[in-house]
Amino acid sequence: MMLGTVQSGFGYWNVYAWIIFFALAAALVFYFRSAGRSDYKAGTYQDEIFYGGNPVPKDGDEIAVPASSAYWGFTEALSPFYKLLLSLHTGIASDYVGYLVVTTALISALIVL
Amino acid sequence: MTGNLPFVVVGLLFAIGMALILFDKNLIKIAIGVSMVEAATNLFLIVLGYRTGGSIPVYTLAGEVKRMVLPTPQALTLTAIVIGVATTALMLSLIMLLYRYYGTLDVREIRRLRG
Amino acid sequence: MNWQIHLPALLIAVPLLGAFAAPAFANRRLRDVWFTVMIAATTVIAFLLWRRVGAEGIVVYVMGGENWHLTLPSGMRLPIRIIMEVDAFSAFMALSGSIVSFAGAIFSLRFLDRTTGGEKFVALYFLLTAGMLGMETTGDLFNFFVFLEIASVASYGLIAFWRNTPEAIEASFKYMLLSTIAALMVLIGVGILYGRYGALNMAAIAKSMQLGLPEKVALALFVAALAMKCGAVPLHMWVPDAYSQAPAGISCFLVSVSQASLYGLFRISFSVYGRALDTPAVAWIIIVFGILSMFIAVVMAVIQKEVKRLMAYHAVSQTGYMLLGVGVGLLALAHPQAMSEYGFTAMQGGIFHIINHAMYKGLLFLTAGSIFYASGTLDLNRLGGLARNMPYTTVMFVVSAAAIAGLPPVNGFVSKLLVYESSFAVHPILTVMALVTSILTLASFVKVFQSAFLGPARARFSEVREVPRSMLVGMTVLLVAILWLSFMPTWSLSRLVGPAAQALVDQAGYIEAVMGSGL
Repeated sequence: MMLGTVQSGFGYWNVYAWIIFFALAAALVFYFRSAGRSDYKAGTYQDEIFYGGNPVPKDGDEIAVPASSAYWGFTEALSPFYKLLLSLHTGIASDYVGYLVVTTALISALIVL
Repeated sequence: MTGNLPFVVVGLLFAIGMALILFDKNLIKIAIGVSMVEAATNLFLIVLGYRTGGSIPVYTLAGEVKRMVLPTPQALTLTAIVIGVATTALMLSLIMLLYRYYGTLDVREIRRLRG
Repeated sequence: MNWQIHLPALLIAVPLLGAFAAPAFANRRLRDVWFTVMIAATTVIAFLLWRRVGAEGIVVYVMGGENWHLTLPSGMRLPIRIIMEVDAFSAFMALSGSIVSFAGAIFSLRFLDRTTGGEKFVALYFLLTAGMLGMETTGDLFNFFVFLEIASVASYGLIAFWRNTPEAIEASFKYMLLSTIAALMVLIGVGILYGRYGALNMAAIAKSMQLGLPEKVALALFVAALAMKCGAVPLHMWVPDAYSQAPAGISCFLVSVSQASLYGLFRISFSVYGRALDTPAVAWIIIVFGILSMFIAVVMAVIQKEVKRLMAYHAVSQTGYMLLGVGVGLLALAHPQAMSEYGFTAMQGGIFHIINHAMYKGLLFLTAGSIFYASGTLDLNRLGGLARNMPYTTVMFVVSAAAIAGLPPVNGFVSKLLVYESSFAVHPILTVMALVTSILTLASFVKVFQSAFLGPARARFSEVREVPRSMLVGMTVLLVAILWLSFMPTWSLSRLVGPAAQALVDQAGYIEAVMGSGL
């Protein structure tokens, strides 16, 4: 058996092949980076952030998208499903005990029958 | 039929305790319900080890008897009671703190963590 | 006589000694030393025990007997003493759990400096360790219940450790209510089995197991209660509450503690019931628990706004992979051909995922703890740009997030691959759900990484510095474990995971170690 190869019964996977692949990709990235221009003038407008022509705000908060806006489309598309899920997570302890009892009853029925 | 009577009591105690936990809104009563379910479990264990007409399962105290009740369930019950005392005490102290912070004992209103 | 014979007893005794001596250490320096030394000793013992089990097979230890290996004294038919039975699966779980407990302890040292009552924290932490290791090494059902309760009571205390925050008390109360009822269900199940067989030893019960109505009811109680304790959907509601409110070192360790309940579930369904199970119902229940946990929890995780709560939902979701993998193995248990074709691979995947998850989820909780320690908040809407201030934490986060999302070449990928390729043989829909879950996992960790670490520097975090060195050391322990598991997949599978899966399947061997003869 080759070093680092995992047989899954239907195929195999080798960790070192992946590491070599990542090393090659990293080498390419560094090559492209080093091929970039380095003759800009530091301290002038050339190394300033371009913010649509406006002055860049001091605090990052003003130009950052809040995390609760992430995946807005996804959550909006699934909003009926999310409404159902959130209505199950009531936060009331006796509801949670109820789920436990119902699940136990269900499992008993499935196993005994 | 009387032989099964203790198991009926176990079932009743368990059902009453569970009903309290599920349907009562007061935290103290929920704690009482948990204690009742614990009592039902302990009674169940004791009844399992009972033999009709059996004596205490200690050789030096039992005297001239043929039958003894089973000692293992009694040991189990003793352990379970000790654990039950610990959880009940901790649960009551948590309820006390909850009352201090939330100003209520209604289980429906203690739900800042949800979703 | 070789002192290593007593390793199973030491594994419990050392953390218990640590727990009961801890309140005496009021001095901060002494307390830290005691905490570190004893938890390191526990880890070393777990490692030695694992090595011994690997070399010699199942290790049996009789508590309180004249002789440590005399399981059936003077021709008794049933074992009467408390027996610890450590097979490769137990040793594997104990090793994984104790590594996480070591990392969590080192991480917690500096956390404790900010509060009073640190010695009580240390005592409860050791009790939690003892409870977890006891659950994983005992061969006795009632003992399992006792250790389950020890671990539970210790964790109630630790979850409510910040007792001046109402949410922590609330989380602890909810967990306690559910967990007490679940533990009583376990006790009733133990009582039923005792009533039928007059024994509490798992091997003794397994030897004479005849599946009737009482056994089925007991099994249903065990499955439901332990599924609740390991946080399977729809019984997972306590997990996000408890994990997000506990101190970070505890959340990290609680992952391993709930895996001890997972261990109990697998031990009871494989070693106690095993071949006596004539219906596939139990296996399908476990698989359905797995699918529901994977999918619903990850969907809930995507919308979370608090780092630790998000990670806690992922803990539920990752537990689903273990349930799915081992459930497929249980489904194939009665059919030797299916077992060799895909069942064993599935079990290897599920069990490998246990240790992988313990390591990377532990590390993720520790990075969340670092973020909180350094910046004072865990709200994703307020965090941002921390990669500038906390470079080491960022690296740790990236590695563990890649691992949990199953990005090759990190370890989460290997175990997920094994689960995918074997569950496919049962039904393709299982694999599809597992893949979708993996994608959503990646999506939500991209969200955390982007909102907490990337982005422009925030003015309010300009004073934030990297966390103290001891916290970094605790995180490095888990990082090294992740990298080791990633870069040595063949070693991990053949030495660590393979024997564990084999031990779980080999019910006859488990019985023989105590009863002297197999099925």
